[in-house]
Amino acid sequence: MLPVMHRPDLNNRRLTWLVCGTVLAIALYFLLLPGMSEAWRTPGSPELYLMGVSGAVLLLTAASFSIAKRGKSASSPVAWFAAHVNLACLGSLCIAIHSVGYMRRPPALLILALIGLAALGVWARIYGAKRMAATMGTKRPGFASPDTDLQARIRNVIDRKTTLLSEFDADAAEALFSPNLSHWLWHPFKTFSYIRLAREEETLIGTRRSVSRVQAYWRGLHLFLAGLFVIGLFIHVITVTFFAGYVADGGEIYWWHLMK
Amino acid sequence: MGRLSLMFDLERCIGCKSCEAACKQEHGLGPGEYRNRVVWLPDGEAPGLDFLTVACQHCERPACLRACPVNPKAISKDPENGVVAINEGQCTGCGECVTACPYGAMGYDPRGHHAVKCDLCSDRRSEGLSPACASVCPGSAITFGERVDHIERAESEGRMIRDHDSFLLGPATIYLDRMYRREGAVPLPERKQPAVVDPPEAQLAFEQSGAAFPYGLPRPERKPDRVEPGSCTLCFNTCSVKFHFSGDKLVKITGNEEDPILQGRVCPKSQHTLQMYHNDRRLTQPLKRVGARGEGKFEPIGWEQALDEIAAKLEPLRQNEPEALGIFAGTRTGMITIRGYIRLFGQMWGTPNLETTDPFCAAGKNITYQMTQGANGCGNSYTEEDIGSAGMYLYIGDNQAETRPVYFGMVNNWRVKNGTKMVVVDPRYSATASKADRWHGIRPGTDMALGLAMSQHIFAQQLHDQRYCENWVEGWEKWRDFLDNQGYTPDWAAGITDIAAGDIKRLAEEVAEADGCVIFCSRGINQHTNSAQTNRVFMFLAAITGNWGRRGGAYMNMSFAPTLFANAPEHRQVKPRKSKIRKSPAGWTEAMRKAKPYGLKALIAGNNPMAQWPNQDVTREAFKKLELLVHIDLFQNETSAYADYVLPAAPAIEAGDIGRANDDRRIVWVDRLIDPPGDAKPDAWIWTELGKRFGFDDVMKDEYKDTAKFWDAEMIKHETLRGMTQRRLHANPWRWVRFPVASEDAEEQETLFLEGTTADGAAQEGFRFATSNGKLQFWSEKLEQNFQTMGLSALPIFYSEREQLIDLPYVQSIAGDDDEGVLTPFYPNTLGVPGRIVMPNDETPGSRLRAEGYDMELVTGRPPAPHFHSWTHYFWQSQEMWPDLYAQIHPERANALSLEDGERIQIETAHGSIEARAWITPGIRKSAVFVPIGWGEKQPYHPWRSVNFMTDKNQRDPISEQTNLKTLLCRVAKA
Repeated sequence: MLPVMHRPDLNNRRLTWLVCGTVLAIALYFLLLPGMSEAWRTPGSPELYLMGVSGAVLLLTAASFSIAKRGKSASSPVAWFAAHVNLACLGSLCIAIHSVGYMRRPPALLILALIGLAALGVWARIYGAKRMAATMGTKRPGFASPDTDLQARIRNVIDRKTTLLSEFDADAAEALFSPNLSHWLWHPFKTFSYIRLAREEETLIGTRRSVSRVQAYWRGLHLFLAGLFVIGLFIHVITVTFFAGYVADGGEIYWWHLMK
Repeated sequence: MGRLSLMFDLERCIGCKSCEAACKQEHGLGPGEYRNRVVWLPDGEAPGLDFLTVACQHCERPACLRACPVNPKAISKDPENGVVAINEGQCTGCGECVTACPYGAMGYDPRGHHAVKCDLCSDRRSEGLSPACASVCPGSAITFGERVDHIERAESEGRMIRDHDSFLLGPATIYLDRMYRREGAVPLPERKQPAVVDPPEAQLAFEQSGAAFPYGLPRPERKPDRVEPGSCTLCFNTCSVKFHFSGDKLVKITGNEEDPILQGRVCPKSQHTLQMYHNDRRLTQPLKRVGARGEGKFEPIGWEQALDEIAAKLEPLRQNEPEALGIFAGTRTGMITIRGYIRLFGQMWGTPNLETTDPFCAAGKNITYQMTQGANGCGNSYTEEDIGSAGMYLYIGDNQAETRPVYFGMVNNWRVKNGTKMVVVDPRYSATASKADRWHGIRPGTDMALGLAMSQHIFAQQLHDQRYCENWVEGWEKWRDFLDNQGYTPDWAAGITDIAAGDIKRLAEEVAEADGCVIFCSRGINQHTNSAQTNRVFMFLAAITGNWGRRGGAYMNMSFAPTLFANAPEHRQVKPRKSKIRKSPAGWTEAMRKAKPYGLKALIAGNNPMAQWPNQDVTREAFKKLELLVHIDLFQNETSAYADYVLPAAPAIEAGDIGRANDDRRIVWVDRLIDPPGDAKPDAWIWTELGKRFGFDDVMKDEYKDTAKFWDAEMIKHETLRGMTQRRLHANPWRWVRFPVASEDAEEQETLFLEGTTADGAAQEGFRFATSNGKLQFWSEKLEQNFQTMGLSALPIFYSEREQLIDLPYVQSIAGDDDEGVLTPFYPNTLGVPGRIVMPNDETPGSRLRAEGYDMELVTGRPPAPHFHSWTHYFWQSQEMWPDLYAQIHPERANALSLEDGERIQIETAHGSIEARAWITPGIRKSAVFVPIGWGEKQPYHPWRSVNFMTDKNQRDPISEQTNLKTLLCRVAKA
């Protein structure tokens, strides 16, 4: 019997307040922006530079939820999730302020990614949850009489998975196995190959086809956008630091730490 | 320990969703949250219906577990018993497992944001109990145990296990396939669930309210510390249940597994009554109308003020015209109140106008049982040795799978076990029909023709039980000759019933040759203008084949009402000055509107006439004319809106009561176990207090507010109930005793009217039936005289309904409800309207309506098992399962009207119209539309206008006053 556990769940009301609060704070900032001092209107100023750094740290921490829940160390993945959302909202506010509304420059892509991430996250939590609940009892193909040809192909994939698994986690049973963070760290290529086989099995079973596209792919898209954001963030940091002239495009390099 | 699993038997599952209700109770699941789900899968091309219960398959290679991205995983598999379980505290709610499970067996909590799944009730297993779903299943369709044992059992019973391991996941759950499926039927995985069955959009209604206590609470807060036995008081199955308490809070309702008959089986609505006892919408204080009638504006007042004002308004009536007070009670009111408190009040008041829902439901069978056998119901029992031993089950107009699902589950179980033949005659391919060997989609309102032709054929073929007829039937030869003379042959009936002559003959021969046939009939034949005569025809059919007063053979038209009556002392009874206006309250409307035959000025209603009474437009107009309308109920509904005073009532365990009259003659006692919410009061209290204001308290004593005291002192005086004392009812843990029991130590009788026995109430020793000569009465001078008074003959002549798609004889009332009428010989001191059988012509109503485009047959009836009348529409889970009013319509007709499944449509009769959602199914006659009862426009979650806006109060049986609710011409269009 499993223990009764308290789930520090972020309920829909709190989530809505949090996201709406963040959006309102950003709107308020842009409303007040024209009357603010130059330092609060210059992304490279000490104030906004720190704002950018804070935002980046907060968002990277939020993104690390994905790693934490796959590592063994997270004692409460649910609490991590709540932190993920809280930090992401706060980080987004910082980044929005840091951007000062420069939307015609390449870094604006990071803002777009953030908007996409937030939209997907909110959809999944508030609306996607209902779709997931409504999925119960709606898949009929699983109850069809077996197709021997399909079974043979699935059997083949299972055999290949079993063989491959024995090469990087001999103690694991294919029936219950999916790779975790340590597998990615110590056997990245084999893990990748295993993941590909698992995807092949999923395709044969029709896993993603069994639900609506948005339900099947929202999470993949969320992870993809998060990945893009993290990569973009690093590119942004590297370019403004080491290729400041290129970024300034012949204009003034006004970000304070380089000016010093 | 071996691998544990559930085994679902598709042959035994009746689609009632009791397992869903049990699961949600056990695990505190709220709206939209499932660990199991029953999917209705009609064959899209021909009549066919299967029910697939989806729950975790506890796979060897669980796809859900492998999809879980959390480490350590939120889903685990027990290496010993193979149970796959979720640790909700570890789940982040990403939903990957929901997507991954190819069986769609992962649930999700949309409010708590985490996956939920069946773990075969680990908590119950740790206490040595079976999973909740298996413990309640009315059909015994769910069994729990080791997988190897299931396989062994299936093999030993010759049952086929469905292979559903398409994806090599190794599911542990076993599905036993149907024993027979039509050749060419659409395979289950390719079928679609109808749009009206638990659609996701229905969940919007629960977003604000969510789930009531105790659903959604953590298990420790729902853990019971005390269990009390009792009964569900909703329907005619009268299931014994157990009420589970945590402190003084009711936290769970389950079946009573100690009950030797029902063995813990219980339907979903009994479990849903938990949502009645904890319901924010309950009336909690008396209300006084401050707006216009129907507007629904009220102010709360105290009980003293409410009762004093009601009494003050009633007193002038009592002085001058006591008959001007009508009292209408029924389903909600409860047996003790109806037969006890209201009866005493009525006797001392002096009004003859007391009535229940009987004339809408069962008056036709009650009066004919009485005239045929001298007692009011079937004497058989739901035991293995009695109904379980039948050689054949024939259902005519009885969808027992949905109206009494637990009894049907038992019958179906015996059918499967013993290989018993089952035939269903119904305009719809109902859940009951889905289990039958054959279904005959009869033209509604023509069952009498079927019965006549079957009887004629049986006599013609010398298949009747000669010895039985000679010994135990009065007038059988007259009946035999009459059938011949009238030419009621199968060929004659074929054109009327739409059932081929060969099929009628075959059915007749099967009934005659079976070693015991139970003929089940119900509202499908009761709710007609030929109610009494059709009941008699099938009673005669049962009798001439010897299926009366034997084990495994019966005419079973639910239910057997006990002879429960309280009577005021003679000197305290006020003899009514006038006769009762009509047996049917539907006939009271002219007394309200036009004061004819005399005025009815005040009405006390104990349930919801504004949804129940036929012809709602007329009914509402009539109610507006009342000088006083008092409504006693649990929830505000359509009737409350018209009331001057609304009094909050308290049911069952808030009051102390018995369950409903039922098929099995069981009287089940329910103790008062909790206090009503707010200032709500039991009906006993309300009537006693009201009686006190008229000086009735010498009879309606204050101590009688305690129903248990009242029971022993006043209710069981009849010789058949003298042994039904509180002491005896409390002597066993299932709290019921089967009547008759003449004394406390009298043995219960499994089957009544057996050869060699004397009937209770018989005129003399040795009389097998309680009739004047101890025989079943087909014909006698007296009967002939009585029938002729009402324009008919004792030997039933065929007639149908006036609104038919073909020309058939029908009965026409010779007067209206505003006429005096005649004293009917069938009910004491009651006015009735004689009828005459007429042959249709171009001027008669059917022809005129057909010419106006009314080209379909409207059939009304009970919705699926989770609903019962309007009560369950206030329970969130009944509404989740079946939210919307629907209209079943055949695909051919739907195509002609370009209708989509689930689309909003309008149904119109000559008497009114309503809207509903289309349920397109081949499981209905091509010319018929079926619309269920129970919905109302004031209901909280999914309000719809009552089907009774389309029915006609004037189409009534001259004998029993039953209204035709089953055959009305209608037309259908997109809304």
